[in-house]
Amino acid sequence: MIRLQGIRKAFGKNEVLKGIDLTVDKGEVVAILGPSGSGKTTLLRCINYLEKPSDGEISIDEFAVNCRKPAKKDIHALRRKTAMVFQQYNLFRHKTALENVMEGLVVVKKLPKAEARQKSVELLEKVGLGDKLDAYPSQLSGGQQQRVGIARALALNPEVILFDEPTSALDPELVGEVLAVIRKIAKEGITMIIVTHEMSFAQEVANHIVFMEGGAVVEEGPPKTIFQSPKEERTRQFLARFTSDSAYSI
Amino acid sequence: MKLDFSFIWTACVGLLPAVPTTLKITVVSVLCGLAIGTFVALCRMYRVPVLHRIAAAYVTVIRGTPMLTHLLILYVSIPLVVDGLADRFDWSFRSAQIPMIGFAYLSFSITAGAYLSEVVRSGLLAVNKGQMEAAHAVGMTTVQGLRRIVFPQAFAAALPNLTNSLIGMLHGSTLAFTVSVVDINAQAEILATTNWKFFEAYLAAALLFWGMTVLIERLSALLERRVTRYNRGGVA
Repeated sequence: MIRLQGIRKAFGKNEVLKGIDLTVDKGEVVAILGPSGSGKTTLLRCINYLEKPSDGEISIDEFAVNCRKPAKKDIHALRRKTAMVFQQYNLFRHKTALENVMEGLVVVKKLPKAEARQKSVELLEKVGLGDKLDAYPSQLSGGQQQRVGIARALALNPEVILFDEPTSALDPELVGEVLAVIRKIAKEGITMIIVTHEMSFAQEVANHIVFMEGGAVVEEGPPKTIFQSPKEERTRQFLARFTSDSAYSI
Repeated sequence: MKLDFSFIWTACVGLLPAVPTTLKITVVSVLCGLAIGTFVALCRMYRVPVLHRIAAAYVTVIRGTPMLTHLLILYVSIPLVVDGLADRFDWSFRSAQIPMIGFAYLSFSITAGAYLSEVVRSGLLAVNKGQMEAAHAVGMTTVQGLRRIVFPQAFAAALPNLTNSLIGMLHGSTLAFTVSVVDINAQAEILATTNWKFFEAYLAAALLFWGMTVLIERLSALLERRVTRYNRGGVA
């Protein structure tokens, strides 16, 4: 179980997160929605400390990090329990698809190379890239790169995978293949937190929707409630634009 | 005036014994300079308390003064310091025992460090910051991320400038003659004065330097093709 309590983050005087509480159960898929600048991505990046929260507590099961005075080794431990899929993929550019997936297994998890290799090949096959093992990121399309990114995250066997707008940098034709992979792993019971603008996808794949605006959670609940009968006027307004015409079918 | 072509060849052969000296000064200064430069660049980029200010001062002072001046200052100051300390602590060691080439190594490494720190810094800045974020997200420490992810890419980005610095140091190493180190240029001077054939001797030195430079350029091009293989694009 992942628990965020009173997460705050300020860039200078600009308070981006104003005390966020969020609980994610094991195996749950949570989608965070909201307009640009609402703090969704910042919140996600706080969970693995790519962004340093100014206050609050992050806990994963029994392990807790106090954001007021985090120890370096706690930050490191937190990062090892989480994995992230980036909007810009951020694959290691000088490594092949296979090496990208293997890297964390060998360097962080200290797996023997042969074992890491076997596991990585399996994962790349699972995301449909069994024929691209030796391709460098520069030789892959955006959709393929993002699928490698997902395989890299899966390899670490994390408690939770954080998806930061995983399809926002892709052209519409490639969105489908990435969403298909995410949908597939969501069914396997891996805990996921997804920041996305794909409303219909969120509705379909998530068990829980969080709607954020202005650095605070406006409303949260099961997709059915949020999409069909939101309590808050702001949620209704925001979702109205999507419910009428979904951008693409997936 | 007549050019004695055959003496150019004789001089080239006569200069060969000095080639190792030139190469040693160049390689030692660039390698030590690269180590200093990397440390300085990291101190500045990560704004390490106190150290980043010292690093910035080092770069501006050293780049603001000529390489020859560094050599001469060290050449006169080190003996003063060493002998002063020796007197006080009763050492048997004297500054006269320091080999002349040692002054060149030390001085040129300090010079190269300042210039190379900027080369390293530009290389590091060329690496997208998402790379380090991904390394962190995978669970690596900052040191692991630098070593395994950022440095290899920074090296590829910095290689053309590193080659420039290496060639600059190869030619700059000729200044070592001022502290009585016999490098290619100093050897040419000796051949010139003993045979009274200045033009030929200098031409021979120029030819040797040019040859070595071309070799460095070729090697660098090969290395560059290797280390940037990943960036070539195109579908595999």
